[in-house]
Amino acid sequence: MARAERREQPKKLQPPMTPMIDIVFLLIIFFLLIPNQQAGEGYLTTNLPDTSGPVAGKQQKDVQRIKIELELPDNDNRGVNIVLNDTQVFGSNFGGLLAALQGLKARGLPADHPVLISPWMGTRHKWVVRAFDMAVVARFKNIHFGVPYD
Amino acid sequence: MAQAKRRGTGAVSMNMTPLIDIVFQLLIFFVLTAQFQQLEIEQVVLPMSIAAEPKDPFQYRNVIINVVKPDNPEVIVMGKPVAYLVIDGDNELSSLLKARKATILETGEKLNVILRADEMVPYEVVASVMLAAGRAEIQGWWITTDIEEPEDLLD
Repeated sequence: MARAERREQPKKLQPPMTPMIDIVFLLIIFFLLIPNQQAGEGYLTTNLPDTSGPVAGKQQKDVQRIKIELELPDNDNRGVNIVLNDTQVFGSNFGGLLAALQGLKARGLPADHPVLISPWMGTRHKWVVRAFDMAVVARFKNIHFGVPYD
Repeated sequence: MAQAKRRGTGAVSMNMTPLIDIVFQLLIFFVLTAQFQQLEIEQVVLPMSIAAEPKDPFQYRNVIINVVKPDNPEVIVMGKPVAYLVIDGDNELSSLLKARKATILETGEKLNVILRADEMVPYEVVASVMLAAGRAEIQGWWITTDIEEPEDLLD
């Protein structure tokens, strides 16, 4: 009789939780400890020119494009001197470059109007990126870099 | 009849072994892929940008090219320095990029080059990397930057 009573009592279903909790804690610790190197990083994206065709690497002088030249100032190989369309000189004033680009845009140039950033070989990377930045902020989308051709 | 009663009151236990197996497999996978990603990335001082957009570089088929040591630049891919100087024909970098592109030709996916260059690296080195990418007929070009607020950048 006593045996029959024991059988009728509902038994609790308890899967072994210990290993599951162990694994979950391991995963939590793992993801907490991974150094997230991409935090705060972003990307400026563009396309390099197609170098596979018959005119690859040749200068295209017939295209009316905006040219941003980044020169090295005298006696300062870490600085920059900005020249827009061979005429306007801004020194290292990127705000002035942005205003000039926005002025060109306001005159009705389309967003896909080509913009060529042409740095001197010794120009520091950060100036090239900043010039790219200014062109993007001025809402130009067709931005290219000048590279030496062989 | 007695047999039927025993079936109804028996304890039901979950089989934890395959669950734990799978969790361990996942753990090992994440550990290995995390280490693989670390191999591709070098510590550099990135330039600032207000127009850059955050993206997951590992979401696409990309080649990460690090340019370190501004005073004596080195180009590093997958943790190894590669020759990048412009010479006639292919250099080590363009050969590497061509090989990488060949591996995904069949899939039809687009391959991008992600440049992680120190902010003080001269443009000469970046241009050499561009030429190598051009020789490998890779057109997608991503420049890695630190994202900064507009008011900070134009100060």
